[in-house]
Amino acid sequence: MSDFLQTSEEEAKEYLPRYKVIYGTIIFCALLIVGRLWFLQIMQGTELRQFSEKNRVKETKLPSPRGLFLDRENRVLVDNLPGFDVSIAPQYAKKLDETSDAVGGVLELPGRAIADLVRKTQKRDGPFRAVKIKDNVSLEQVFKLKLLRWDHPGLAVNESILRYYNLAENGAQLFGYVGEISREQIPKFNEFYQGKFVFDQGDIIGKSGLEETWDTTIRGRDGVAFVEVDARGREAPGENPNYFGFKPLPAIPGNNLVLTIDKDIQEAAYKAMNRHDSIGPRIGGVVAMKANGEILAWVNTPSYDPNNFSTGIPPQVWAQLINDPFRPLRNKVIQDHFSPGSTFKPIVALAALSEKIITPSTLVNAPASLKFGRRLYHDHSKTGHGNINVMQAIELSSNIFFYKMGISLGIDRLAPYAKLLGLGAKTNINLTHEVSGLIPSSEWKLKKFGEEWQPGENLSNAIGQGFVLTTALQMAMAYNTIGLEGRVMKPYLIKRILNQDSKVVQEFEPQMLRDATQPNEYGVVIESKSFKTVKEGMRRVVNGERGTARASKLIGIEMAGKTGTTQVRSFSADEIYKRCDSRPIALRHHGWFVAFAPVENPEITVAVLAQHACSGAVGGAPVVKDIMMAYFEKYHPELIKAALEKKGKQAVKMPASVQEEAE
Amino acid sequence: MRLGNAAILNSGLNVEERNRFSRLDLNFAFVILALNLIGLINLYSATHGLFSKDKMDLFWMQIAWLSVGWSIYLGITLIDYKLFTRLAYIFYGLNLGALVVVEFMGRTALGATRWIDLGFMRYQPSETMKLVMVLVLARTFATRSYDKGMSVTDLLLPGVLLMIPFILVVKQPDLGTAGVLVAITGSILLFVGVRRSILIFAAIVAVVSAPIAWNFGLKEYQKNRVLTFLSPGRDPRGTGYNSIQSKIAVGSGKVLGKGFRKGTQSQLEFLPERHTDFIFSVLSEEHGFIGSVTTLGLFVILYLMAARIAIGARDKSGALIVVGIFFYLFWHVFINMGMVIGILPIVGVPLPLLSYGGTSLLTTMTGLGLISSVAYRRYLF
Repeated sequence: MSDFLQTSEEEAKEYLPRYKVIYGTIIFCALLIVGRLWFLQIMQGTELRQFSEKNRVKETKLPSPRGLFLDRENRVLVDNLPGFDVSIAPQYAKKLDETSDAVGGVLELPGRAIADLVRKTQKRDGPFRAVKIKDNVSLEQVFKLKLLRWDHPGLAVNESILRYYNLAENGAQLFGYVGEISREQIPKFNEFYQGKFVFDQGDIIGKSGLEETWDTTIRGRDGVAFVEVDARGREAPGENPNYFGFKPLPAIPGNNLVLTIDKDIQEAAYKAMNRHDSIGPRIGGVVAMKANGEILAWVNTPSYDPNNFSTGIPPQVWAQLINDPFRPLRNKVIQDHFSPGSTFKPIVALAALSEKIITPSTLVNAPASLKFGRRLYHDHSKTGHGNINVMQAIELSSNIFFYKMGISLGIDRLAPYAKLLGLGAKTNINLTHEVSGLIPSSEWKLKKFGEEWQPGENLSNAIGQGFVLTTALQMAMAYNTIGLEGRVMKPYLIKRILNQDSKVVQEFEPQMLRDATQPNEYGVVIESKSFKTVKEGMRRVVNGERGTARASKLIGIEMAGKTGTTQVRSFSADEIYKRCDSRPIALRHHGWFVAFAPVENPEITVAVLAQHACSGAVGGAPVVKDIMMAYFEKYHPELIKAALEKKGKQAVKMPASVQEEAE
Repeated sequence: MRLGNAAILNSGLNVEERNRFSRLDLNFAFVILALNLIGLINLYSATHGLFSKDKMDLFWMQIAWLSVGWSIYLGITLIDYKLFTRLAYIFYGLNLGALVVVEFMGRTALGATRWIDLGFMRYQPSETMKLVMVLVLARTFATRSYDKGMSVTDLLLPGVLLMIPFILVVKQPDLGTAGVLVAITGSILLFVGVRRSILIFAAIVAVVSAPIAWNFGLKEYQKNRVLTFLSPGRDPRGTGYNSIQSKIAVGSGKVLGKGFRKGTQSQLEFLPERHTDFIFSVLSEEHGFIGSVTTLGLFVILYLMAARIAIGARDKSGALIVVGIFFYLFWHVFINMGMVIGILPIVGVPLPLLSYGGTSLLTTMTGLGLISSVAYRRYLF
């Protein structure tokens, strides 16, 4: 080194004595660290190794049970059940093939497949992650597996919480289902909730329906447990203070939701949709709503069993669900909009009355066809209806009458009335995938297609064809408004939120959005006498001599409604009079029926869309009738009894079933 | 060096090229490379565990940072370090600007505002400030000599240079980095020489002001860290948890370690931040006493080589740069390892070349590049 010094530049020389201090510091600090490492790794190594291997205390998450869904009478609709799953920890499974065979024997699965699964997962995740073999193991299997554990280290039977949907297929699209959060969702959710909730791999979240939209209310807060893991991989969660005195933190269960749903009506609605008549089980959606906006029943068919999702859905079941042409996963009540067809006519009638185009007594000639421009517009009646007023037009569902209303009104005078009643906009019922439907206007058409509104389009839209699109829920809302003669009620699903001590966290009250008889932001007003006129027409649809839904009259209560039939496609002349049920199912017409009851003081409104069910009268009305009857049998049995007794006096004898109940 | 020369003599390069190449300190680079390799192997284990699915990409990111780091290293080696000392005050100004930006619009991580999001990376200005401090001090002291050591007036300028970034970093709050900044500056001042009377005075001030700083200067969690360090059982679930789990991890490694990716403490997620600040505990657990001491040994070799380069430096600014960067490395390694093995309180200081992190790695490689640049221009015999 000395020869360096003599030749280095003068300036840097003054630092030379300092390097000794630097060398000293390096050596001192290095020795300090080596000494400490010696102490920890050599002297205490055996003890700490034992501690790390044999008595691990690990912080693990205690998943909080999700809140239950209760119906309006606190009956459980969606429940949590204790479940069991089986897993193998590759780290401890020294005899993996034997263990797999033994487990396979109990679970009736091939042992080879289990061993392959464990090896494959181990390659990906390393040896420490327990590989889940099967969810939802039966109690009998649990017993057998627990015995096996002693000979097969690494095998574990874990308790889990299973989400259980009591009604199974019934209401699946409303309640939704749960599943594991996906890898892509984790960062998004954590960003969104900003630490209010922390999501990890394996966390269960609501994936659709109420489970999804109310997830943060019902998910609760996960707790922390300190789990001791012994050398054979068996876990024993300890309540007792552990090695460090860490205290476990219990999970806080989520809040329960009390829904507005009435389980009895919900079940009746499901039964009514899955009926066995000449048309067969209905495809579509039905919603029953109390006059104050509380939803009583919400059914979509065909459906699926959400319990399959809780336990891991088999791939073939999933494939079947997504390939089904009638789309069981869809919430058709709000997710699909259709032409309302003739169910739109009462709204046109209200517009015509309010715009003074007709009075209740104005007679309009309704022949079998009407020439407009160069086209001939047909009625469904080959003979025509003669001179009729607006009430008769609704009762008979005259197309020509409403074509004429459409011509006189024009779309821009009609549209505000439809919107006033709640059509063409989301109801904001707080479920995902709600569509807004469509009430067209000439301005809308110009913007969308760059084309002028054609006068001929006034005709088709006046009978609910053309551009007009509505959801079943919107139709229920609009008809409920007609029934209440102007009060527009907001539909809602949650009555109250309860915490675990059944204390009310939040209560939801009926909400009137606006009164159609008073000035409002839509710029049009409907007088109550117009509502009364239209209601009378709708009463006759069910109760009149020639009403289109006269076959679905209720016993003891007067129901008012309107049928609607919309074409899936137009048929050629020779096809048009073919019988509906001789056509392939996908080509049959859709049937609507929307009604409220009782006429004078409505309590309930039901809207059904029965796809490919031929017509509103045959496909829709019987479904509504059954739901209405279930409602009145439950809430007003005296009305039905009185009617039957009256009938009985006339017809000598009461039906046997009612007689038994009376005694 | 000799080995390198022998290889080059047979390489068929012309004299000038041979000369240029032979001046590269290859041994120095090899030691860095060895530490990089250990770092990568270890990082792979830390990011490919059972609960680290979200961290897998970090390993590949680190490889990307490494290639950028080596480009910087080679680039800086070829640039005369005089350029950096000449521009030192400009760097200093820019870096202060960046610290102010962080103060007002930085991104928050773990409760502290420390970085600016550049899109492709998170730039942490407090990290580069450490290097800039070295450059500024090298520039300042290169032209000055103190026969009896620095007096109070001599200390005024370096004192102000330190205090501005120090206050900004403390405000973030990032006490660990602020501490390292003080340690590096203090070490350089001591290296240059300070009068004995001032040293004694400073020691007295430190003793007197400690209780005041404790009561008024530190936040609750900062006090907790120190208290917990003194008795880890005090808060085993909070701040003590890391310390205890880290000690268990290191100790359970014993002589040979549990093996690559077999460290239960690290793989089972007992160790938080195991890919950044606690990376050394992963190494100690999986590769034991042998692995830990080997790694420490490589760092010691790196220090000794740096000291040799400083001694052989052409001028004072070169020597000061090398010594400053040596202190930078030395304090980081000592504080980080000390924290992991439980002889120092837990502060957020990464382990150079081993911890995951773009800013840390690039800063370290820049610093090493500067040393290499000084080595490249030393006198050859």
